[in-house]
Amino acid sequence: MSLYVLEGLRPWVIQRVSAVYMLLFTLYVAWCLLGADTTVSYASWKGWLFAPFNTTAVGLFVIAVLFHAWIGIRDVVLDYVHNIMLRIFILGMLIGILLGSGLWVFRLLLLSVVA
Amino acid sequence: MKFTIYRYNPEKDTAPYTQDYELADIAPGTMLLAALLRIKDEQDESLSFRRSCGEGVCGSDGMNINGVNGLACITPIDSLQEPVVINPLPGMPVIRDLIIDMEPFYHQYRAVKPYLTVTDPMPDVELSQTPQQRDRLDGLIECVLCACCSTACPSYWWNPDKFLGPAALLQASRFIEDSRDQKLEQRLQELEGPFKLFRCHTIMNCVQVCPKGLNPTRAIGNIKRRMVTRSL
Repeated sequence: MSLYVLEGLRPWVIQRVSAVYMLLFTLYVAWCLLGADTTVSYASWKGWLFAPFNTTAVGLFVIAVLFHAWIGIRDVVLDYVHNIMLRIFILGMLIGILLGSGLWVFRLLLLSVVA
Repeated sequence: MKFTIYRYNPEKDTAPYTQDYELADIAPGTMLLAALLRIKDEQDESLSFRRSCGEGVCGSDGMNINGVNGLACITPIDSLQEPVVINPLPGMPVIRDLIIDMEPFYHQYRAVKPYLTVTDPMPDVELSQTPQQRDRLDGLIECVLCACCSTACPSYWWNPDKFLGPAALLQASRFIEDSRDQKLEQRLQELEGPFKLFRCHTIMNCVQVCPKGLNPTRAIGNIKRRMVTRSL
């Protein structure tokens, strides 16, 4: 694994697979919202999120978003940022932000399972 | 008819500039190359550009015509808006006027090993193909290496040293699809990595400008498909 993490073909495939999953997930959430017979409240949202199927779906969605964002922004950086130190700095920051956000969401999801 | 042409002679000029020319009595159906040759003959013999066959086969007179790359010899003057603005192919080092240094382009072409590689002992007769195998090469072998596509590609502008560009990738596909070539695995492997092939973001400028009507984007897609199949 190099500085670019995952190299060429794999990120290209992951970007497409994650895009399809995100689309399906968005449709599923829209379907859930449209089908909600009560007004959406904190309690109903919590109930929705704590259903094991939904917790898993949200977890996978977060993973898909993180990978998709990593590959997309990495592509922009590889295209436009040619100074190698600046490139390392930006990609490093990006990994930090994405990993941080990911861990934060998973902490919330874990808490939801435990609660 | 008015022409605005990019001029630069590094031996004399400190910076590039544009020069206006006017040409009268242009016969209907005249190609742009004929007009340029008339300007050179009648008005300014210092105007420099490459040309050879004059019928879209050699690929020498690629230039940026009213913002679109194309071959001057097969671009009808009637199809162009006035003033006709002519620049060298974008993003390449200029040697003089409309003549660019093609070496970076040829370097990427050579990088895809554009020749058949056979590891088996060579047979006494020709390496034959079925008509179906030959059909797979249609749309790939017609490329004249004019560089119109690669120099229209933003990904190639940003990384001309690392991204192979549509022309070289079309040639890569031409040998990947050839039933006689025996280095398929190695060819696919050499295109791996974030730069050589995967800087292509399917912008499709290459398809839009190709004077031979070829589709490098589809060729690149076919390479990606082969890579995916191979990895499964």
